[in-house]
Amino acid sequence: MSPVIIILCVISAALAVTMLFTKSPITSALCLLGVLIMTAAIYGLIGEHMIATLQLVVYAGAIMVLFIFSIMLLNLTDSENDFKKKPFVFILGLAAGITVFGSIVYAILNHFKNEANDKTLGAFSSETVLALGGNSKVLSHALFSQYYVSFEVVSLALLVAVVGSVVLAKRKVD
Amino acid sequence: MFDLSMMMAKIVVILVGTLGVVPVMVWFERRGAAWMQGRIGPNRVGPFGLMQPLADVIKFIFKETFTPRGANKFYYLMAPIIALIAPLCALAVIPFGSKAFVNGHEVILQVAQMDTGVLFILAFAGLEVYPVILAGWASRNKYTVLGALRGSSQIVSYEISMGLALLSMLVVYGSFNPHDMVSWQQGSLGFIPRWGAFVNPIGALIFWISIFAETNRLPFDLAEGESELVAGYHLEYGGMKFAAFFMAEYVAMIMASALISTLYFGGYGILPGMEFAINLISNFFAFGEVGMQNTKAVFEFISLASKIAVFMFLFVWVRWTLPRFRFDQLMDLGWKILFPIALINLVVVTIGVYYFNS
Repeated sequence: MSPVIIILCVISAALAVTMLFTKSPITSALCLLGVLIMTAAIYGLIGEHMIATLQLVVYAGAIMVLFIFSIMLLNLTDSENDFKKKPFVFILGLAAGITVFGSIVYAILNHFKNEANDKTLGAFSSETVLALGGNSKVLSHALFSQYYVSFEVVSLALLVAVVGSVVLAKRKVD
Repeated sequence: MFDLSMMMAKIVVILVGTLGVVPVMVWFERRGAAWMQGRIGPNRVGPFGLMQPLADVIKFIFKETFTPRGANKFYYLMAPIIALIAPLCALAVIPFGSKAFVNGHEVILQVAQMDTGVLFILAFAGLEVYPVILAGWASRNKYTVLGALRGSSQIVSYEISMGLALLSMLVVYGSFNPHDMVSWQQGSLGFIPRWGAFVNPIGALIFWISIFAETNRLPFDLAEGESELVAGYHLEYGGMKFAAFFMAEYVAMIMASALISTLYFGGYGILPGMEFAINLISNFFAFGEVGMQNTKAVFEFISLASKIAVFMFLFVWVRWTLPRFRFDQLMDLGWKILFPIALINLVVVTIGVYYFNS
């Protein structure tokens, strides 16, 4: 692993911790944005340009704008005082988080302990992807041929979500 | 080592080329405005007022660095930095020539060669919202917040029609790679070059309108709106911090001009008639294949630069010709006119491409 990636990982971890513990909503949102951009940079450095670009376009460029826009619009300046420390809830949350994180780490370590898992590679090594005409081409081919139905189902689910949110928002206004 | 030095050289070309054009553009904007309004314009510093940007810079540097009370200092300082970085990063993907030979090695004249190409530019165009939002919010001033809200909703709205216009061109080229796009545009349609703008004129027009909105230029400068919002989102900025915003606007204009040249106007593809000049020079100096390719690269750079210059001139021309939109008119234009037209155009172009390819 290159030292640049390690530095980016450290920065993104620091930003994530800041995001969790800060009291101002806009700092929290901007730290999340920083985490997303750092992850995109890591994807880019390991050669996955397509995923890096999509991360920037979709998450950093669209979703986080919406987050920050609504925080600004609602002007949540007083909510800094709304964060009351409830020790019981905090400990419960901490325990749940540690459990989930621990199981993920355990599962990954277990996976790589097995020699066979470590050495069997998938169908797409970086050489085959390059020979097939680049990452974006391979991904689009897979999406629009093999996974066409699931792709359409996901887009339908998004449409349902949009219609649902409009209906919910309308009811409140009327 | 050779790769690293070539990469550094390309980055320097991009940075110097872009940031070096900014003072010239500032001068041209002011002289051009004066010319269009029948005034003289700045003419005291140097011949034709050419040294005026230098005087401006000295003024900017010696101004007091002032932070308004109640401002969030960290975000207040971060906004102009992001404003300048985002368009400069996007320029990394735009090729400024096909290839050149240095010391017998082939060098592709583009900083970042990645297979997502123009999509990467869209990613950084999306990040241009943040300086507007951050500057407006961190200054803690009613006018800046209003300007930021207007500016960000405008950028978000016009990004959609811009993306759809870009998508219609991606369907035509069948590639994200800007080099493929330029080589596709090399042919000719009878007496006109086969440029994207002639293949897909509606898409080109929508894209052109959208980049005005994306760069916050008149008639879409509602984020600044001097007569209503004093100066909009950068009201509380002074000195070099304001200069950073000012430079960012021009860098974004250069980036947008380079993008529209590459997508719709042949990119670095040499202008008609230049082939003759290349042959003449190559024959005169008796260049081999390597020398000829290098001469061609120079002319390709000149072609791209002149296309960018035309679009920069159009930016200035439109700014001092059209009045500002009202906010509801702006939103109507974005959502009710450009968005449906771009969507229909995308369908039509897709059908056309399918018809011509089969």
